Formats: sequence, structure tokens, C-alpha cells
Amino acid sequence: MPEPSFDCIGVTCRFGSLVAVDQVSLTIETGEQLALIGPSGSGKTTLLRVLNTMRAPDEGTLSVFGAPIEGNDSRELRRLRSRIATIPQHLGLVPNLSVIQNVILGRGGRRGTARSLRDILFPSRSDTLAIHEILERVGIEEKLYQRTAQLSGGQQQRVAIARALFQEPEVLLADEPVSAVDPARARDTVKLLVELAKERAFTLCLSLHHLELALEFLPRLVGMRHGAVVLDGSPDSLDEGELADLYRLDQAEMMADA
Amino acid sequence: MSAHVGLPRSLAGRLGARRWVVVGIAITFLICAWSLGLTPAGLVPPDARHWERTGNFFAAALSPAMDYQDPDTPDDANPIWLKGLLGLFHTLRYAFGAMSIAIPLALVMGFLGASAWWPERRGPLLGVLLRGVFITCRFVMSLARSIHELIWALLLLSAFGMSPLAGMMALALPFSGTLGKVFSELIDEEAREAAQALQAVGHGPIQTFLVGIFPGALPNLITYSFYRFECALRSSAVLGFVGIETIGLYIQLSHEEFFYHEVWTYLYFLLALIVIVDLWSAGIRRHLNPATEWRTVR
Repeated sequence: MPEPSFDCIGVTCRFGSLVAVDQVSLTIETGEQLALIGPSGSGKTTLLRVLNTMRAPDEGTLSVFGAPIEGNDSRELRRLRSRIATIPQHLGLVPNLSVIQNVILGRGGRRGTARSLRDILFPSRSDTLAIHEILERVGIEEKLYQRTAQLSGGQQQRVAIARALFQEPEVLLADEPVSAVDPARARDTVKLLVELAKERAFTLCLSLHHLELALEFLPRLVGMRHGAVVLDGSPDSLDEGELADLYRLDQAEMMADA
Repeated sequence: MSAHVGLPRSLAGRLGARRWVVVGIAITFLICAWSLGLTPAGLVPPDARHWERTGNFFAAALSPAMDYQDPDTPDDANPIWLKGLLGLFHTLRYAFGAMSIAIPLALVMGFLGASAWWPERRGPLLGVLLRGVFITCRFVMSLARSIHELIWALLLLSAFGMSPLAGMMALALPFSGTLGKVFSELIDEEAREAAQALQAVGHGPIQTFLVGIFPGALPNLITYSFYRFECALRSSAVLGFVGIETIGLYIQLSHEEFFYHEVWTYLYFLLALIVIVDLWSAGIRRHLNPATEWRTVR
């Protein structure tokens, strides 16, 4: 049995007096596909930032690929991050670079500064072929040399996915990958990510607020509310009441909205 | 405030405050004008001689000289159009040379005077060091640009004599200060989303800067450098007034002799050069900014 991709024990993160992630204990096994669900502000994004080691927990411990990250220096953290692909909600593409230049940066964590500069100026033949193949898989191969700023939102999202794939990650974390696209495209994107995770055998963890998509495609759902994990199970094992409770507005929140 | 009746209190307060800012600016202007003894009559030439000279100068704009006005011009002198072109070439040479020195200097200082490349997690020692470099760099850039190029020219010419290098450095120093300051601000204003995404997949701080922030800022840096190149052309012409051989020197010499038609010939040459550079830079801007291109296509 391989080590789990992530193992959190009692992880807590605070922003001043706000507790964004509250005593979360969660194990994500290698090759698993799961969705973090829950209303906005429930701590999904912060938890993803903890998982990719960009945010150190204020309390609790995190192990990545079986090793605790506490005490790792920045070089070791960077090496770890190069094995984890992250697609942020805003995608994080470099606007003035072309699709191929953006995608090639997926491997920058492993390749270092000088090689990355060479890559974006003079991409190698083998990289170009590999990227073309990935772009074919995500359906935008004709955009290889187009600048990302000229692409539609949906196409930019595909570029971000291609960048993650070119990284050849062991884990893919995606923060609200479908928040900015229409429902039909959102469904396609989630389906594509789950298919890719199976095809390329990486661990997949998505945060989603489209509950229906999570129920349809992901075998494990982890529900968060006020920073804490309040439910965890397969779609079949969760009942409707629990799921409805997850998105129920608190009395105080309703007062605030009014 | 009757004009703001019916508006929410906070908004009315804001509009009121804005009105006072405008009134404050107007009052400051009036105080300055009064202390300088400015009167509308100052816009009118004081006597008939000045009237005539002003009239001649502007009338000459309609008939720039096609030949030298000075009857003592030697026969073997270059034709005036060739002299104008050579003047432009000298002007361009100083401006181009100065920018070739100023841009690399500004890139280094702009990088050191920006904080976009600082590692997120830094120890106290590194923090102090980075801040020290940042402040020193900003100070050097402020010093370089707070002295006008004409004053740099006077200082450097008195130190090194009438050498072309002194003229070029007189432009390069203040221009590197201005360019460096704007470069560092453009770099720091660049959106950090791409940088964060690259850090999240293991890019180091300098690497993130070079491939994630700099390419985003580059079109703005280039556009601004072109604008400064136009300024350098004008400043290079102005250096003629302290004796450096650019088209400004010809303008000054003709002006001293009241050869206004010649002055206008040289001014039109300079104008043509500025327009050409402007068109060139506009073309490059269009190429660099895909968003505008996209909007035009739609």
C-alpha cells in the first residue's frame, strides 16, 4: 500500500481572529479522487493552500507523500510542490506568454531558472511535441502559439489544465475549476479532470460548489463548513438532509444578508 | 449643502470634500500668480519692436527656409536640408546612445528597487538586506532624476570638457533614474496571480519573477521606454543650447541671428523625426498589446 498523498491531523489556520480551517483531520490516499464541497468561505481554498504547502498550518501536522513537512526548508518545499500540480481559481496564466510558453512552465519547478528561461524563449522539439499532444487531449491544439490573453475563459481553463498535465504531477489540486464557465462547460471540465486522473493515475482533489457535479463524478465528497470537515463519504452514503444542512444559511448569515 | 439634498450623508460629504479640493487648487493658483506679479497684460508684447519680432517669428512658420538666410554662408556649405538631416542624425545619435546606457541601468535598478521578486518567507536578516538594497536603489534613482539633464550637461561638460561622452551621460543619468523608478513601479503593480500559481508548483522567487512577472510587465516597460526615447530626442536637441552639436545648436545659432525661417526649417525636421518615432512606437504598442488588437478585430 503506497503512502497517502496527504495526511492532515488537527490542522488549523487562522487569519487574525478568523479561523479559516478548524481542526481538520483528513487523509487522501494515493490515486483517490475527491471533491471538497461547501459554501463560500467554508475554508476549501485555505485547505488546498495547506495541502500544496503554500500555507503552513498554525496548528496540527501535515504529511505529504508520507513525510511530515514540518521543518522542511524552502528548497525542500519547492521540490515537493513540483510534484503537486495546482490550478488556482484565477488560473494564474502569464497573460503575455503564448499557450506553449505557459504550459512549459508547468515543469519549471523541477527545471530551475536558467532552463525555464530557455524553455520559454526556445522550447525544445520534444517539449513542443509533448505539449501538442496534451493540448490535443484537452481540445485546444490549434491554440499552441496563441497568447493566452486572446483566448476565451474556457480555453484559458484548458491551458491551465494542460500546464498541470505537463508537470506530470502525482497530485492535482484544483480550486473551483468551474466557477467561471457555463454549466455545460463546467460539466465537461469536471468530467475531463476525473478522466485524466484515472488515465494518468494521479490523485485528484477539487474544490467545487456545484454539488450536482461533485455527486455525479467524484467517488468521495468531503463537506466543509466554518472551516471544519462536517461530512466525508461516497455520494451514496450521504443523505440529502446532510447535504442540505451543509449549504443552510445560519441565522446570523441570513441577518447579515438581509 | 443644498445641492446634495436627498443624497446619503456619506456621499454628500464626499462631494462636498471634492468641491473644496477644487476651490483649494484655484486659490493656490491665484496666490502663486499674485506672488509672481502675473497679469493678463503680460501675455501681450510690451512694445512695437517686440510685436514685430513675434509676428516675424510666427509668420516664418509658413515659409521655412529652403536656403540659408545668411548672405555670408560659404559656397561650399552643405545645403540646408542636408544640414538639417545631419543635425537630426547627431540628435538621434545622442538620444539612442543615452537610451542604450539608460535602459540596462534602469532594468537593474528597477529590479532592485522593486519588491515583486522578494521571497515570501524570508528571515529577519534577509528582510533587512532586501529593504536596504530597495531603499538605496530608490535613493540613487531619485538623485539621478532630480537633477535635470541640462544641469547634468553643465556639470559633466565642466568636468570633462566638450566631449560627446559627457553629452551622452548627461542624458543617460537622469533618464536611467526616471526609467528605473517607473520600471520598478510597473513591475510591482503587475498582477501576482501568475506568480502565485508558479510558486505553487515549485518555482523559486527569482525564477517566478523572470518568467511569471517580468513577461507581464514587459509590454508596459517597452511602451514607456519608447515614450522616454521621444523625450530623449527632445532633450538631446535641447543639449544644443549648451553647445553640444545636435539640431538644437543649429536652432540656437539661427535664432540668435534672427534667421527665423531657418529656425522653422530645423523645427520641422525635428517635428518630423518625433512623428516618425511616435508612429514606430504606436506600431510596436499595437503588436505588444493583444487586447487592443482583439478589440479592433471584433
